[in-house]
Amino acid sequence: MAIFRLHIPVLDEVKRKGLRTALNDKWVDVVTRVTAGLNPADVRGVLRDDPPGRPNPRLTPHAEGFWLHMKPTYYHRMVDGFYPTFRLGWLSTFFGVFEIVTGIYLMIYYTPSPVVAYENMLNLLSNVPFGQLMRDLHRLAAELMVIVVVLHMLRTFVTGSYKKPRQFTWATGVILLFVTLVLSFSGYLLPWDQLSLWAVTIGASMVEAIPPEIVGRNVNLLVRGAPEFGANGLLRFYLLHVVGLPLAGIVAFGVHYYKVIHHGHSLPPEGEKVGEDTAKRVPMDSRVYFMPEILTRELWYVAGLLAVLFAAAAYLYNAPALEPHANPLITPLHTTAPWYFLWLQGMLKIGDKVIWGLVIPGVLTGLLLLLPYFEVGPSRRYGDRRIGLSLAALFVAAMALLSYMGTPHYAVSTSPDQEAVAELLPQTHPGPLRSAPWDDLAYGSYEAAAWSAAPNATLQDLLHRYDEVLTDVQSAGRADVAGRMVIEDWQTDLKKVTLRVTWTNTADGTAGEFSQSVYLHRDGNYGQGA
Amino acid sequence: MTDAGVQTAPGADAGVPLSRREFLNYLWGASMAVFLAGGGGVTLWFALPRFREGEFGGVFTLPIAELPAPDSQPTDFPDGRFWLVNIGDAGLQDPRQPKDYSLQPGLKAIYKVCVHLGCVYKWVPTNDRFECPCHGSKYLKSGARIDGPARRNLDVFFIEVLDANGNVLSRSEPTMGSQEAAAVTIPAGAAALRIDTGRRVVGAVNSKPGGGI
Repeated sequence: MAIFRLHIPVLDEVKRKGLRTALNDKWVDVVTRVTAGLNPADVRGVLRDDPPGRPNPRLTPHAEGFWLHMKPTYYHRMVDGFYPTFRLGWLSTFFGVFEIVTGIYLMIYYTPSPVVAYENMLNLLSNVPFGQLMRDLHRLAAELMVIVVVLHMLRTFVTGSYKKPRQFTWATGVILLFVTLVLSFSGYLLPWDQLSLWAVTIGASMVEAIPPEIVGRNVNLLVRGAPEFGANGLLRFYLLHVVGLPLAGIVAFGVHYYKVIHHGHSLPPEGEKVGEDTAKRVPMDSRVYFMPEILTRELWYVAGLLAVLFAAAAYLYNAPALEPHANPLITPLHTTAPWYFLWLQGMLKIGDKVIWGLVIPGVLTGLLLLLPYFEVGPSRRYGDRRIGLSLAALFVAAMALLSYMGTPHYAVSTSPDQEAVAELLPQTHPGPLRSAPWDDLAYGSYEAAAWSAAPNATLQDLLHRYDEVLTDVQSAGRADVAGRMVIEDWQTDLKKVTLRVTWTNTADGTAGEFSQSVYLHRDGNYGQGA
Repeated sequence: MTDAGVQTAPGADAGVPLSRREFLNYLWGASMAVFLAGGGGVTLWFALPRFREGEFGGVFTLPIAELPAPDSQPTDFPDGRFWLVNIGDAGLQDPRQPKDYSLQPGLKAIYKVCVHLGCVYKWVPTNDRFECPCHGSKYLKSGARIDGPARRNLDVFFIEVLDANGNVLSRSEPTMGSQEAAAVTIPAGAAALRIDTGRRVVGAVNSKPGGGI
């Protein structure tokens, strides 16, 4: 008796049918198993767009396999065009997956600790092959994802697709919007630069405003991990960003997509009678099958989008340069929320933080979530929904206005002398002075008004800009405004540049002055390769 | 229609009695719910950070010679997260000071963090006021809010004035008619100022445009 018996069935087949036939049969078998139901001839039929056999073998992978089990086998021709979906839901999913993949790449070089996070970023940007590309891609796709998700919701509203029976699909979509926004926001803290720290500090302070005081204080501690942002807070945001929110998003996406398929893609408003929902009853002649048409098209979308994203990240788009290392003692002038939260920053400038930072955003979110349960008009036709569509347009306009109010132009401008210096030496991004070619900053003391006398074009340009913003400093209360730029040799390969604004106060004839210095190193690389 | 006239909606309670199995299932369900609630509470407790109050600062002692002169620019103490201001005659007569808050001459240690949403505001000498770069709250040297979305005056730290032997000569006391801490004057014989950043006195409510209750 053998200790064990090894039986390789294909050898029996070879013995019986001969090598060639046996291997061919095995190949057919393997392909059919891998595709969950399509043999090589079927696969070629899909790729050639041949008419399917009867019964249609292309339906089997949907029924037998995991990957396509939720994908519908066919779509209605009316929702297959660019209108009415604009492919926005598909795009949201694409960007979500893209973020997970690029995010995993970035995790390889990142440690969530205030001691090394910023250094990790510098290393990624300057030392890791394709590191900068990866960061650009992750950031670009994140911003595009926010845009696409918002447009997807807007489209769903405009075509009335949230109405019965798709109320719950809409509600899960609002959750996904929320997850998308918080994901983007939590990623903000990770580089541990000034932008990160202060954007997230404001966010956490909003949470702290939750009444009653004991709740706000403890929720704030849970978020920050300490009274102030530090190692614990960074770790918590990191875990939220890479584990908590992606998990929540994947679960919510599963429910959302299941509901979409369960009810069928809603037909355009003009595509069916008022009060009817015929999305699930697709006549034979209106069916567009997933295989081959949708499948091949989606593959080509993926290829095309990847090409566009990589080209854009390589040639057109740079993720914003890092700001200086996070400093809990200095809030930079002109600090702003990410653009998709500017509306919130605008609201917070209006008044009380509990009302404008918690109650109103909370009520808006609640209304959005429950919208299909109280807006129950049966018609999805545009003409029957004038009030709803007008309100939506007003809402979008209000968001745009609030976003403007969130920018530094509204209500936070400081004294004109500081604004003038910040024009050349901003505190939130490198700006013209830091990005100027180091060698062109010739030693000397230059008068802004005499910019045309500067020794080279770079200095002339900088001084000219300086001179132009200085006109804002001149006012009834301030006369004889002058600006000066002093460039000194500080130590080997290091220059000290001082910007000084002087004026005379007309009220009492006293002199006023504001100055700020920056140290620029030959290898400073403030443009960070841009 | 066997039950004449009685129509129950589909899914409605059929009116059958509670069986032992159903009862036990409710019991298991309830025990699971209690377990999850307890687990949730433990998770919150677990995640709540451990720290000492006033961890960043502590008690700062400054010799009298280092204090700013009356009506001079505020002095920055980054380690203690406060500005030391000395309110003099010019400060008392500042027309921008809201009338709702009594103002005495003397020293105040003002917490550097904006009471709106936690940014660090800065002193802008040209405008002679503190300005927050995040949402534009503005405060006078006295700590009184005069503009922006903040809804109270700046918080201050508790100050004691000591003589050479370490005896307390005066301290920042709450003022009558306000929960704010008053400025501290320097009596004769004072040698040092002790500022306790573990004891923060919250600013008075201030919500009107231009400042005031």
